[in-house]
Amino acid sequence: MNFQIPIGPQHPALKEPISLRMTVEGEVITDVDIRLGYNHRGMEKLAEEKTWIQNIYLVERICGICSHSHATCYVQGVEKLMDITPPKRGLYIRYLVSELERVHSHLLWLGVAGHEAGFDSFFMYTWRDREIVMDLLEMISGNRVHYAINTLGGVRRDIDEGQKAKILKGVATLRKRSEYYFYIGANEPTFVARIAGVGYLSKESAIALCAVGPTARASGWARDVRKEDPYAVYNEVDFEVATADSCDVLGRVVVRVKELLESYKLIEQMVKGLPAGDIAVKAPRKAKPGEVVSRYEAPRGENIHYIKANGTDKPERLKVRAPTLANYPATVEMLRKGFIADIPLIFAAIDPCICCAERTVTLIAAGSGEESVVRMSDLRRRAITRHQNAPVKRNAVWPL
Amino acid sequence: MTDTELIEKLKADLGGKVAEIAHPAPRRLFLKVAPQDLIAVTTRLRDVYGVVFLSTISGVDNGETFEIVYHFSTPETDFNLRTEIPRADPHIASITPVIPGAILYERELQDMFGMIIDGLPDPRPLVLPDDWPAGNYPLRKDWKRVRPEEVIPGGKS
Repeated sequence: MNFQIPIGPQHPALKEPISLRMTVEGEVITDVDIRLGYNHRGMEKLAEEKTWIQNIYLVERICGICSHSHATCYVQGVEKLMDITPPKRGLYIRYLVSELERVHSHLLWLGVAGHEAGFDSFFMYTWRDREIVMDLLEMISGNRVHYAINTLGGVRRDIDEGQKAKILKGVATLRKRSEYYFYIGANEPTFVARIAGVGYLSKESAIALCAVGPTARASGWARDVRKEDPYAVYNEVDFEVATADSCDVLGRVVVRVKELLESYKLIEQMVKGLPAGDIAVKAPRKAKPGEVVSRYEAPRGENIHYIKANGTDKPERLKVRAPTLANYPATVEMLRKGFIADIPLIFAAIDPCICCAERTVTLIAAGSGEESVVRMSDLRRRAITRHQNAPVKRNAVWPL
Repeated sequence: MTDTELIEKLKADLGGKVAEIAHPAPRRLFLKVAPQDLIAVTTRLRDVYGVVFLSTISGVDNGETFEIVYHFSTPETDFNLRTEIPRADPHIASITPVIPGAILYERELQDMFGMIIDGLPDPRPLVLPDDWPAGNYPLRKDWKRVRPEEVIPGGKS
């Protein structure tokens, strides 16, 4: 008997609207259907009506957590179209903010993963430490979420010696704490037992389904745009690509903690090697006709913008592909053959409260697959009728 | 292998199937192929050059034609396969048999441009709502959004 469990689009456990339909057989998920579009805001169409400068602030609002990723990916593409080279100091500050953003995003994710695995002290520790990096970001840009530090041709704010010292001090604290998380991750048996072997994604599937970012790297596929397509400053700094071979949630935690340590290394190099000079050059109002493919390693994976210019002050076409979309086919693969109880872990941000909020139940006829939506009261009436017509006597006693 | 050597090799190998190879920036190759050669070129690139990773597929409305750009990448370089199909008959073969991860991007093209992807395993709409009026393709240049008039229940007081 197959049942289909709908989760979303509006669900108390979901942070954002998405609809997942799990076909389950008992506790085992046999098929997953993802339906998107509940949060589609038509930004690609809107971008065609805005100027190059206005679009920076538009694409920054695609995402709240990796806002800087989209803005940077867009800006570095448009700078190529306009043929301008930002000064070195501007670039260092821009990618310094990138790495700080990666730190805050990974700390957030680690906390959510710990929470979903039932390890709430881990969640409290990581989110407490996340405040350190949020404060640093606020100090640099003036904002905690949408930093708005990018502009065409450089960045909008400079950093001084005092701020440099504060960043180094904050990063030193964070490194000590992250090393402790790494120790916990490897030595806390209940945590490891909960996440090991959950959400298996083989390397072959990760490649075939074009997975990106930490999801692909945890399956042993070492792809990192910063390493293979080093944009701006990444060929001047030293870092390693973190990978894991266990292909499960444990691997994804390990990859993210390792990436945190790599990011601290990058931040220290960028702060210490910050060149002197200007932070921005003036950008022209229009871009000459052309096209550019801009790639960027966001905290969640590869972010790609395809920008086409037609000679005016507005883009002809701006195509954005955020990393999460690329990971959906892989997520379906991970959930398949998993247990209902593992959905929150695999989805990492979804609470397992599946039945409590759904006030209608979708019944699927096992033979034909036909769907019908019934109300809770109807379901109850059906159950009573069925019970009354059952061949078993209602006043039967347990034979002893 | 540098980009220039790679271009020479691609020209010798794919020859007639690739109309032109542009190299506007380091690590960026733009290959122009005819729609009917798309599957053959993609298969060849995958089997011989190890091009297994598709970043995304971009559609562009050029008026009389639709341009489709397939953004592939390998650790060495980026391959951007460009093809053009007529607006009057926007059919293109699905590349999911070669690259299974392409499915969401091809479904998005169907929604946004009204292209018809032949051989797609799951052709349902991806991002548009179920009650979206038929024949409306938002990313076509001639599509304009008309904001529906606001109706306040009970009227304005």
